Amino acid sequence: MRDGLWRGAAALLLWGALAPAAAADAPPALAQLEQAVAADPDSPRPASDYRMAAIRAGEYDRAIEFFERLVAAHPKSANAWLNYGYAYVDKIPAAGAITRVILANQSLEKFTKSIELQRAWLALYTRGNSYLYWPPIFGKGPLAVADLEEAIALVKREPQRRPVHARVYVALGDAYWRTEQPEKARAVWREGAAHFPGTPQLQARLARDGDELSAYLYNQLSPNERVDTSLAPLWAEP
Amino acid sequence: MALLAVALGGAAPAPPPIRFEEIGEAAGARLPHHLRQFAGPHADVLEIFTAGGSAVAVADYDGDGDEDLFVTDSDAGRPNRLLRNERVPSGALRFTEVAAEAGVAGGNDRLSIVADALWFEADGDGRPDLLVARFGTPLLYRNLGGGRFADVTAGSGLETEFGNTIAVIAFDADGDGRLDLLLGHYFQPVNLIELPTPHVLPNNLDEAVNGGGVSLWRNLTEPGSARPRFVEVSAKAGLAAHTGWTLDVGHADLDDDGDQDLYLAGDYGTDRLYWNRGDGTFEDATKEAIGFDTKKGMNVDVGDYDRDGRLDVYVTNITDDYMRECNMLWHNEGRGADGRVRFTDVAKETGTCNTLWGWAAKFADFDNDGWEDLFAADGLRSAGPEEYIPLVLELILRPNVDFTDVRLWPAIGDRSWSGFQKKKLFRNLGGGTFKEVAAEAGVDNDRDGRGLGIADFDDDGRLDFYQTNAGQPALLYRNTSPSPGRWLGLKLAGAGANRDAIGARVMVRAGSATWVREVNGGNGYAGQSTTRIHVGLGAVEKVDSVEVRWPGGRVERFAAPLGCYTTVREGEGRAPR
Repeated sequence: MRDGLWRGAAALLLWGALAPAAAADAPPALAQLEQAVAADPDSPRPASDYRMAAIRAGEYDRAIEFFERLVAAHPKSANAWLNYGYAYVDKIPAAGAITRVILANQSLEKFTKSIELQRAWLALYTRGNSYLYWPPIFGKGPLAVADLEEAIALVKREPQRRPVHARVYVALGDAYWRTEQPEKARAVWREGAAHFPGTPQLQARLARDGDELSAYLYNQLSPNERVDTSLAPLWAEP
Repeated sequence: MALLAVALGGAAPAPPPIRFEEIGEAAGARLPHHLRQFAGPHADVLEIFTAGGSAVAVADYDGDGDEDLFVTDSDAGRPNRLLRNERVPSGALRFTEVAAEAGVAGGNDRLSIVADALWFEADGDGRPDLLVARFGTPLLYRNLGGGRFADVTAGSGLETEFGNTIAVIAFDADGDGRLDLLLGHYFQPVNLIELPTPHVLPNNLDEAVNGGGVSLWRNLTEPGSARPRFVEVSAKAGLAAHTGWTLDVGHADLDDDGDQDLYLAGDYGTDRLYWNRGDGTFEDATKEAIGFDTKKGMNVDVGDYDRDGRLDVYVTNITDDYMRECNMLWHNEGRGADGRVRFTDVAKETGTCNTLWGWAAKFADFDNDGWEDLFAADGLRSAGPEEYIPLVLELILRPNVDFTDVRLWPAIGDRSWSGFQKKKLFRNLGGGTFKEVAAEAGVDNDRDGRGLGIADFDDDGRLDFYQTNAGQPALLYRNTSPSPGRWLGLKLAGAGANRDAIGARVMVRAGSATWVREVNGGNGYAGQSTTRIHVGLGAVEKVDSVEVRWPGGRVERFAAPLGCYTTVREGEGRAPR
């Protein structure tokens, strides 16, 4: 069993399903979307829509260059920096193994900039989850725990509990597991399951243990498959 | 019966085990390998980048009917070794080291590093000659008979081109009946010992284009001549544009049109597949046949793992915790509607994806059940408890770093790098899946493996293998599987200069079952296996036909009893009806 919609590569958010690739996005469509993002750089929706279009068109470098210009024009926009980081993540599946490391590192830098501007649960979750895709030998597990513990604390202060928040519980449990704290991992997954019953990602983890769970998480945190970085669940109906 | 067992909920009987016994020491074959030691501040970085040349080549060089071994060393002044199989009457394996008296021990001189070796018919006299590939110029030894060799490099043409050669195969590229040579070069042709420039390493770790590429040498040796002669034809053949970091080269008739095609495994970038046009020139079909990859290709071996009659290709890459590339098992899809042959990577689906830091991997039916298994060597550098890869990460993440500059790479010291890795034996379960059984088969050693030479060294019908290791002693595994299936063995004798019939295709049929094999001239990283054809048959008691398509195109059928090796000579078979 797999986590379905939100597994993937070196960073990230695994939100709802990608919209079906309709007509291939030609550059004029991307240009129009870029105008929309530039007009409202603090809004997640146009930025997310643009990145999804760029993915469908295979225009990864164009998206990176666009967000580079965007943050230069709006250096205080936490959303712009966050999506700049996602643009690097979006390119990861199209890159070789070593280039992926460079892209992942670039994305972390951008996520960090976003957090410096605004300590939002989304940005902390994104960076914390990104750390989980780094091999354990690089020692980023404790960094993931720190980000995700802060993210979950912020989520708990949100005025409304939303299904998308379940992902933070999943990721924090994964971080505990990665840092060899299995009891804390199970505890946070159970807590998440209590708040969000029926969440398949939590059920899948709680149904496994030991080597089976390790193998499952190893496959879930694989950099080889595309992560869905759409932010659409943020404005989806609860 | 199996269906009935499934229907009743019962488990299918477990297949008999595959078992090996490591007998290198007792057999006199546990030979050490020494890495080339460099001088200067970047010594250990150059050592690790040149730590591939621990190789083995199998052939019956003395014509006494059993398989002998040539084993390379790499450090300055260290001799290569020629192990003569002594055929002890008791059945035990014993080898005697005779390289010096045979005249083939040399090669590791002050400015050259031995990296691979190949037995092949250079002159068509029926005695296998020996090519020693080096980071330097190659050496060609002519087999004089009587256990003696003469260095005939000078005047052969091969001495004219310096290359950092890591792989070599022999095959008839142009259909003239003589065996040509394809050399795979890792670095560009700069002498790494003198190091005239520090910019010798890959310019990109996923898509490098500053490697040594390959060179094709056409064999011009006149029949009966004691002076083999070769001329470099890479550009004319269409291979000169390839500038990748070649780690292995392989040949086979992948599109089943009667000539030998090429697969080049490239480190730091894409592999290449070339169709032979039939005249010794090649068409780069990479894009349409396999697509472009960014993996660290290490090995090329060819076999028909699913017995669909089409030859498939197995390539090892790097699959470690920090780099999950996955190997490639290229399933040959045959000709499409457009008449072009394409491949699909089925490594994940078949369970052959992960061999860690891969090196040589070869198909062989170790249990004679009728399905070709895969054994894979792995492991880069086993040393101290500290790991080198975090230091590499720092380099990789440095902005605008020039990867080519050896001075920028951190010193390795006593650190390990993908070391202590267990070898993998994938048992072919039939039906397109494999099961990893190295531990229970007794072959899950954790040496820093490199090359494999597979052969039936004791002629008992079970395939054994020799595993070379970098900077460590080699291992000799004798196959002791208790209940192997039936088998047949063939030694093909070509009528012309290609005496070993390199490129010949054998089809064995029994009822609806078919087995396809080709005689290859050195496929697989740092290891040449036997040129004898071995076909496991499982429970089959009688084969209906044994058909040979010789390299020149002649097709003949032969009678071949089961349970022994039979020599079949071109021109002495029956024409198929």
